[in-house]
Amino acid sequence: MFDAVERMIEQVQGTIFETAIQPALFHLGLMDWSEDVFDGVEFALYGALAVVLAYILCRPLELWRPVERRDEAWGDRRAVRTDIIYTLVHRLGVVPAILFLVLAPIGVAIDSYSRFAGYIPPELEQLWHPLFNHPLATFLAYMVVLDFGEYWRHRLQHRLAWWWALHSLHHDQRQMTLWSDDRNHILDDMLALAWSGTLAMLIGVPPGEYPLMLIGFRLIESLSHTNVRLGFGRVGSLILVGPHYHRVHHAIEHATAPFDRARGCNFAIIFPVWDVIFRTWRPYAGYPQTGVAALGGTAVRCGYLRHQWEGFRRLAAALVHFVDRRRPGFVAAFRAE
Amino acid sequence: MLAAALPLARPATATTAVVLNSDDDSLSVIDSDSYKEISRTHIGRGPHHLIQTPDGRTLIIAMSGSNELVMIDRATGVEKQRVTASDPYQIGFSPDGKYFVAASIRLDRIDIYDGSTFQLLHRLPAATMPSHIAFSHDSKTVFVTLQGTSGLISIDLASGRVNWTAPVGRQPAGIITRSNGNLLVGIMGSDHITEVDPANGGVIRKIQTGNGAHNFLPSADGKTLYVTNRVAGTISVLNADTLAVAGTLQAPGGPDDMALSPDGHELWVTGRWHAWVDVIELASGALKTSVPVGRSPHGIFVY
Repeated sequence: MFDAVERMIEQVQGTIFETAIQPALFHLGLMDWSEDVFDGVEFALYGALAVVLAYILCRPLELWRPVERRDEAWGDRRAVRTDIIYTLVHRLGVVPAILFLVLAPIGVAIDSYSRFAGYIPPELEQLWHPLFNHPLATFLAYMVVLDFGEYWRHRLQHRLAWWWALHSLHHDQRQMTLWSDDRNHILDDMLALAWSGTLAMLIGVPPGEYPLMLIGFRLIESLSHTNVRLGFGRVGSLILVGPHYHRVHHAIEHATAPFDRARGCNFAIIFPVWDVIFRTWRPYAGYPQTGVAALGGTAVRCGYLRHQWEGFRRLAAALVHFVDRRRPGFVAAFRAE
Repeated sequence: MLAAALPLARPATATTAVVLNSDDDSLSVIDSDSYKEISRTHIGRGPHHLIQTPDGRTLIIAMSGSNELVMIDRATGVEKQRVTASDPYQIGFSPDGKYFVAASIRLDRIDIYDGSTFQLLHRLPAATMPSHIAFSHDSKTVFVTLQGTSGLISIDLASGRVNWTAPVGRQPAGIITRSNGNLLVGIMGSDHITEVDPANGGVIRKIQTGNGAHNFLPSADGKTLYVTNRVAGTISVLNADTLAVAGTLQAPGGPDDMALSPDGHELWVTGRWHAWVDVIELASGALKTSVPVGRSPHGIFVY
């Protein structure tokens, strides 16, 4: 079945590229970009597939046992509609464009310089030979390493004031659903891609597999943001991040010290083991309300563009505070509004 | 190392096609008689092109992603050796076998190795996207197309010094040396090939073939020249002496590298965008079949 789906996507990708995109590249004099753009089309198609799969998997869960019933708790769905726009714009357009047109050329330049200096990045299967003839195991091994990097990126998003200014847009959502994962400022997305892309390059992730890994991450993240009363039990919660586990991370207040904003809890993206190892795991039983109490939900109900603008304002306030400590930080500034 | 030998040890009468699937890091072996893929094997990162050693005993697969050359015994399919090489994309031996050249399209460099020991002799930066390779008949010079800067570079193999760099057309790709020593270059960003003077890179003439002119393959007798046109989805059939276009074959799907069947009756061509290999019957010019393979099939070798 997977082969049939893969074959179908290949043919759709080939047809779109051959009939619409390649002729445009040819007439624009950009044929040297053809293979990169061809891969970008594949990434966008898999991104679309991931959105469909996330909806098929997660939407029934939200209807089955929602933590918050939309009509009762939320009043309207404007904030959710913005998240849907985020998902479609970022997964199908912005992220593939950033990845293949901005970050990939930078990555190639860095790779080129380092190789010319004699440094050839190692690969996991060269370091551990049993992986070599097991592509699935290799794929999972790379996922584990990338997830380790994602855990620490997430810690820094909360720890560094300027990064928290951007990431707080994601946490400000008080109507968390399967669509909320992509609710990120575009600068935050670029930083995230640069972070994981750099790590992928350092450990030798195959360029062709990196987009598939990103899609795997996104599918699990859609599930973990789903508005459903669903945990994986005592053992399962230590194996894979699920909706309950991640909801605790999004809790509007982390009342129990030391789980405040700066320290936080349950940062893991896929594998909770990182939280256990680095002592940020919080085995909380309830389903807390989500959001950032200090911000009062200022950016929840606006549209996509205004939300992006809000991110720039928060970042500016954070940077101004960084330069002049007498000026209020972004949290203080926005709480006053 | 490969877990098992590739199924290349086949009956003497059987013909076999080896295809490199660059986007899923695999190698397909096709039974050329039944037109069935009989195996698909994970081979390493980014396999793009393959050639045989001058003695014909070994297939060398250039793994651009995993920075190595994989040596496969042609008779048994057993992997003999892996040689570290930085991002080898296109590869080729000088006619006398003395030099082995690898072009790195991603990393903008050209490496010249000893053809016997694979010891690196010269490493040259080459802006940008050095791609296809051709040699002078006297094995003194290598010519490499520069896709990113519309150029062609000529390098003295012994000294590793650049003889000249010259513009030849938008996004030049495939290159081949004619019997008279002149060069032919496929101009992928346009609809033609150019004939180039090997002494100074001057363009002698242009021959229209089709949009996205990409790569070349001469027939076994040297009388015919095939040119893939990647955007047009065609293959131009040229008289190798006059360069007059004698016909056009249909090959949709982004035709790229080609190979002839041992009897010379069939032209095999990889279709990059549709993950298949087209088999064209040359007598009729008709598409005989398309064989599904892995993603983005690129290099092909038929024997």
